[in-house]
Amino acid sequence: MRMTSAGSHRIESVMQWFEDGMEEGENGILVYPNMQTFREIYMQYAKDQLVAREEQKENEDNNNDDYHDNNNRHKEQLLMPRIILIATFYDTVNAVKHNLSAVGVDVQSHIDDGSLLIVDAYDGYYPNINGMKMLVKSLSDRARKEGRIGVSVISNMGFFFLYDGDGDASELISYETSLPSKTDGGNVRGLSCYHTRDYENLDDSQKKELDTQGQKKSLEVTESAAYVAFDA
Amino acid sequence: MQGLPSLPVVVRLLLSGKERKDKDTHSNKNKYYEGLNRNRSNEEHSNEDNKDDKPLANLLIVDDDPDIAQVLEQGFLKNSFLVSTFTNPEEALKNFQSNSEDYCLMLSDIRMPGISGIKLARKVKEINPKVKVILMTSFEIKDNEFSKVFPSTQVDGFVQKPIQIKDLTNKILDIIGESKRRVYQ
Repeated sequence: MRMTSAGSHRIESVMQWFEDGMEEGENGILVYPNMQTFREIYMQYAKDQLVAREEQKENEDNNNDDYHDNNNRHKEQLLMPRIILIATFYDTVNAVKHNLSAVGVDVQSHIDDGSLLIVDAYDGYYPNINGMKMLVKSLSDRARKEGRIGVSVISNMGFFFLYDGDGDASELISYETSLPSKTDGGNVRGLSCYHTRDYENLDDSQKKELDTQGQKKSLEVTESAAYVAFDA
Repeated sequence: MQGLPSLPVVVRLLLSGKERKDKDTHSNKNKYYEGLNRNRSNEEHSNEDNKDDKPLANLLIVDDDPDIAQVLEQGFLKNSFLVSTFTNPEEALKNFQSNSEDYCLMLSDIRMPGISGIKLARKVKEINPKVKVILMTSFEIKDNEFSKVFPSTQVDGFVQKPIQIKDLTNKILDIIGESKRRVYQ
């Protein structure tokens, strides 16, 4: 499937793709054109998931006392939002916190209630390349215990381009292909995010290997404020 | 010891435009020399001893954060360095490949998309081993972060951002062997 969008709807379109196009248990690939776009994506997503949900809950508390009695499941979901994990690489953890605060996310309170985690992707992949997977697994387990809808992972993959020599993307491909395109019954939506300058270091065959021969959903956001999505 | 003189205003204005990023900065360099020459010509008879306007060294600065790149560029220009600044490491490498003999030191951020500072350092050293390299990062410098690349990549120094220009200048002067001159303001 190929879609195009433009202008101020760009980030909203990405949100829609992530929210509606990707199911629970799926891992996808996002290629972003510059850091500002990547920032806008995680800021908007966190805002939609944490701030908007909070506002919705407040409105429902105020306007409809009977609502929750009849919609316990919905209430639970409002009370216990998804866990959002942002693994940053080119921005510091503090910079991400600052950016989220700027769009109205009460960062510390969401960190404290376990709804938000911001980590340096470096620590997730080094020295143990599977560190991030172990972290996500623990979050997935916790989400189930706490009755949350699931976990969303927005992970910057810049780490894999820090050391590798020219054309040697074996570690990255090995890691990315170890993430299944879909896990039945899974509660994690994972997004591996690549800066286009990193992504363009890969040749065509490496790019194909990366999305497990087209099985993973992928989205390329372009500089020209339009995007093209190639869905599996 | 006296403070180093700042560059002629006209030169700093020429180099301070936002549009300077990721462009061939050799034009900047030429303007720098034009500015210096103009300055020398004007003041030749009034200030015979003014030899401090000779650039201390030619630096290649690479940081994908335009704000940091700009602050560094202006700070080093003010301290009489000749600088070429890039926010795109690929453009920086292209420039270096063509002009490697012009530079004596590269100051580069580590985490940059496209070519990381570590890879850039490796390539710069391959092209011209005489060029010194300082890597900088906003992240905590962890020993294990560099154990993976050393000794395969020879780097002459690391700095953690934020860092004051005067401290960075002194570190650069130490590394390039110009330690007699210090910046106190």
